[in-house]
Amino acid sequence: MSKFKSFLIRTLQLALVLWAVVTILFLMFRLMPGNPLAAYIDPTFTAEQQEALIRQFGLDQPLWRQYFTYLANLLQGELGYSFRYRTPVADRIWLLLPNTLILTFSSLIVAYAFGILAGAWLAWRRGTRTEAAALPVVLATRAMPEFWLGMVLLAIFSFSLGWFPAGGTRSAGTSYDSLWALYTSSNFLSHLFLPMMTLAIYSQGLPLLLMRSNMLDVMKEDFITMAKIKGLSPFAVVIRHGARNALLPVMTSFAISVGYQLQGNVVVESVFSWPGLGRELVNAVAASDYPLAQGAFLMIAVVVIAMNLLADLLYSILDPRISHA
Amino acid sequence: MPEAAVIRKPRVLSRVFSAVRLPVGDPFAVVGLVIYALFIVTALSAPLIAPYDPTEILYTENYDLASDLLPGEEGHVLGTTSLGRDIFSQIVWGARSALLVGLTAAFMVAFIGSIVGLLSGYFGGWVDALLMRLADVAFGIPFLPFVIVISAFSEPSIWNTVIAMALVLWRDTGRVIRSQVLSLRSRGYVEAARVSGSSDLKIILRHITPNILPLSFLYGSIAIGWAILTEASISFLGFGDPDAISWGFMLQDAFNSQALARQAYHWFIPPGLAIILVVSAGFFISRGYENLLFPKLGR
Amino acid sequence: MTTLLSVKDLSIAYKVGSNDVVAVSNSGFDVPKGTIVGLVGESGCGKTTMARALTRVIADNARIAGGEIAFDGQDLAALPEAKMNALRWRDISFIPQSAMNSLDPVYRVEYQIMEVLRDRGGMTRRAARARAAELFEMVGIDKGRLRDFPHQFSGGMRQRAAIALALALNPKLVVADEPVTALDVIIQRQILDQLRTLQRELGLSVIMVTHDISVVAYTCDRTVVMYAGKVVEDCDTATLLNRPLHPYTMGLKNAFPDLKSAGSGVLTPIAGSPPDLADPPDGCRFAARCPFAAELCRSTEPAPLEVEKGHIVACHRASEAAQLRLEASKPQTWEAMA
Repeated sequence: MSKFKSFLIRTLQLALVLWAVVTILFLMFRLMPGNPLAAYIDPTFTAEQQEALIRQFGLDQPLWRQYFTYLANLLQGELGYSFRYRTPVADRIWLLLPNTLILTFSSLIVAYAFGILAGAWLAWRRGTRTEAAALPVVLATRAMPEFWLGMVLLAIFSFSLGWFPAGGTRSAGTSYDSLWALYTSSNFLSHLFLPMMTLAIYSQGLPLLLMRSNMLDVMKEDFITMAKIKGLSPFAVVIRHGARNALLPVMTSFAISVGYQLQGNVVVESVFSWPGLGRELVNAVAASDYPLAQGAFLMIAVVVIAMNLLADLLYSILDPRISHA
Repeated sequence: MPEAAVIRKPRVLSRVFSAVRLPVGDPFAVVGLVIYALFIVTALSAPLIAPYDPTEILYTENYDLASDLLPGEEGHVLGTTSLGRDIFSQIVWGARSALLVGLTAAFMVAFIGSIVGLLSGYFGGWVDALLMRLADVAFGIPFLPFVIVISAFSEPSIWNTVIAMALVLWRDTGRVIRSQVLSLRSRGYVEAARVSGSSDLKIILRHITPNILPLSFLYGSIAIGWAILTEASISFLGFGDPDAISWGFMLQDAFNSQALARQAYHWFIPPGLAIILVVSAGFFISRGYENLLFPKLGR
Repeated sequence: MTTLLSVKDLSIAYKVGSNDVVAVSNSGFDVPKGTIVGLVGESGCGKTTMARALTRVIADNARIAGGEIAFDGQDLAALPEAKMNALRWRDISFIPQSAMNSLDPVYRVEYQIMEVLRDRGGMTRRAARARAAELFEMVGIDKGRLRDFPHQFSGGMRQRAAIALALALNPKLVVADEPVTALDVIIQRQILDQLRTLQRELGLSVIMVTHDISVVAYTCDRTVVMYAGKVVEDCDTATLLNRPLHPYTMGLKNAFPDLKSAGSGVLTPIAGSPPDLADPPDGCRFAARCPFAAELCRSTEPAPLEVEKGHIVACHRASEAAQLRLEASKPQTWEAMA
C-alpha cells in the first residue's frame, strides 16, 4: 500500500504546485500596470455588466479578499468574460482545447514512433558513419526555432507546391454534422498535416536521443549477454530484451513531452492560424483580453502539471520493479 | 595564517580554471567552439561588418524605396526587406542581440540555480524543503506562456524577457547542483573541515563551490541555447524589444510581410539558419562538457 | 571415462587501446563426462574469460587468438557462428554470477524460462509451461512463484532460478561462473548441495568457475588452478588439496576457510598481486610472489607436465613438492613475502 501512499503524496504535492501557479497567475494579472479592474473589466462593457463582474470577482474589495473570491470562482470554473468575444472564458477554452490536444497528441505520437525506432537503430549503428552523420542533424532539429520550421514547411508545401492549405482547421465554407465527422474529414487532416509535422520534427529528437542512450546502456547489461549465451535470435536480444527495457524511460518522457509541447504549440499554432489554446493566449495577450489570457494560461498550466503526475504514474505502471514491489 | 591563505588561493583558482577548461578533445565541441568564436566576433564587430544600419530605410540610386530586392541586387548580399532594410546587416546585428540575451540569461540561470542548489543541499531541513517546493512550482509553470505574459505586461525590453526566463529556468540547475552538493557534503574533507570548526561560509566557498562550478558552467551553456530560442519566439510573436534587431524580430517582419507567400526564402531562411547554428553550437559544446565531466558515459 | 570437453592451447586476447592483453595464454584442461570440474584462481586470472569462451559470447574487444575447444567431436573455436548458436544452451548452458542482473527485470521468471524452452527448445506454450513448473520443482522453488518478477525473489531463489534456466534444455555441459559468490555461506551450501545432487541425478558435466577454493573442495571432482592467464595445476580435487604440487595452490589453500568445517585455522593471504598481463614477466608468472622461487623460475617459464597420472603441474620445483608443502603450511613462510 506504500505505493498508493507515495502516489497520493505526489498528487498532493502537485495540487500544491497548481495552487502556487494559480496564485502567481493572480498576482501577475493584478499587479500589471493600469487599472486594477482591468483584469476583468473592459471599458466598453455596459454598466450592468461591469456591476455584475465587480460583484462576482469582488473587485471593489481589498486584494486579499479578491484573492479568495478568485479561488472560489476558479473552483466553480468561473474564469470571467472575454473582452473580445463577450462570452464566458470557460466556454471559449473548452471550444479550443480539443484542437490543441489533437495537434499535440498526433505530433507526439508521430515523433515518438519515429524517435524510438530511429534511436534504437542509431544505437545499433554505433560508431558507424551513419551515426556520425545523423547525430548532428538530430541535434540541429533540437536547435531549430519551431515557428521557423513551420514557416519553411508552409512556404515550401503550401505556398510553393500547393500541397497543403496554409492555415486554420478547415476550408472556408465547409461544415460538418459532428466534431467526429470534422476530425476524420480529409479536409481537417490536410490542415492538420503541416503543423503536426512541424511539431513532430521538432519533438522527435528527445525520444530519439533518449532511446539511443538507453539502448547503449541496456545492451551492456548482463541479461543481454545472457540472452546471447542462450542463443536467442538477434530479434529477441535487441528488441524483446534490449528495446523493451530501453523503452521504459522513453514512455515516461511522453507525458512530460505533452506538457512541454503545449508550450511549443503557442508559436506553431500562431504560424498556422490553428485555433488552439496557444494561439488564443497570444492573441488575448496582444489584444489585452486579460480574462481570456488568464484562462488560457491556467488551462495550459493544468495540463502541464497533470502530465507531470501522469509521468510518475506511467513509470510506476510500466516498470514491474515498482508496480510489483 | 597568511601563509595558508597564500597557499590555498591558487588551489581554488586552479580548480575554477579547470572548471572552465574548454572541451577541445571532442570534435563536436571543437566545431561548436569555432562557431561560437565566429558568432562572438560578428556580434562585437557588427558595425564594421554590416554594410548598413539595420534599421535604416534604404533607397536606390533612382531614389525609389529599395524594398524587396533579391540577393545581389543593388549590392545587397541577401536582398532587402519590404521596408527597404538590408537583410545581411540585420543578420549581423542580430548576432549582437542573441549574444546579449544568451550570455545574460545563461549567467542568471547558472547563478540563481547554483545559489539555490548550494543553500538547499548544504543546509538541508526547511531551507531545502522550501527551495525544492519552489523548484516544483517553477516546473509547473508553462515556460513560454509565462515569458510571453511577463514580456507583454512589462516594458518591452530584452531585459524583461531575460529576467522572465531566468525566473523559471533556474529549476534544472538548482536540482542538479543540490544533489551534487549533497554528495560532496558527505565526503571526507568536507566532514573534516566541519569537525575542525570551519564556518559554513568558508566550507561552502572553499570546498564545495569549486566542485560545483563545472556543473554550473554546463547548465549555463545549455541555457544559452534556450534563451536564444525563447527570445526568438517572443520577438516572433511581437512581444519583443521593438528597438533591437534580433533574428526573431526579422522572422516576424518576414512573416507579417507575406514573405512566405512571395517565396522570399532569402529573407526568412538566413535568420533561422543563424539561430540553428548558434544554438546547436551551444549543444555541441555542452555535450563536450558532459563528456569531460562524466567521461564514463562515453557518448 | 570419456572426455566431453578438451580445451587445448587456448589463447584469448583483449584489445586495449592499441595493445593486446592476453588474458588466457596457451592453456587447456579436460572435462570428463559426468564430472564437476573446478576452475579456480584469483580475479583477473582468466578463469571467467576461459569459461565464457566456451559459449563464444565474449567481450566486443576480445578474440580467440589460438587453440582448440574440442567439444563432442567439434572444435568450438573454429565453428561457424550459425552452428555455434545452434549449440548454445541446447548443449552448453551457463549459470551467471549475479542472477539478479542476468534475469531481465521486466519479464516474469516464467516467461524467461518459457522463452528458452520455446525459442531454443521448440516446445509449445503448453509444454513449456509444464516444463517450467517441473524445473522449479527440481531446484526446490514453489512453482507458485513462477509468475513473480526477478526482483521479487531472494538472492538464493534467483540463483536457483538461474540453475533451473540452465537445466531447461538438458544440456551436456553447464558452465557455472561463480554461481554462489554473491550469497551468504548457509545459502551457498544449500545451492551447492542442490547443484551437486542434480548433477549426479542427471549425469551432467559441470565447469565451476570460482575464486573460492573451499567451494571447489566442497563440490568438484577435478580442479584446474589458473594463475595470470595460465593453468598451473590440474588434478583430482582430493589430491590437489592433500598433495598440491604448485606453490600457488599451496598458498590458495591457506587463504580460504574450509566450507565444511568453518573457522578452523588462521588464514594467510598470498602477498602481492598478479603481474600485468599487458607485459607479462619472462620466467614463471608466479615467481615474484612465490616464497620458493629460484633463479631458473625467474628466467624460464615452466611447461605444464603430467608428473603423476592425471596430475599436471607447471613448476620447476614440482619434484621437491613434499618439502615445499611442509614449508608452505607455516604462515611465516608467506608473511616473509609481504
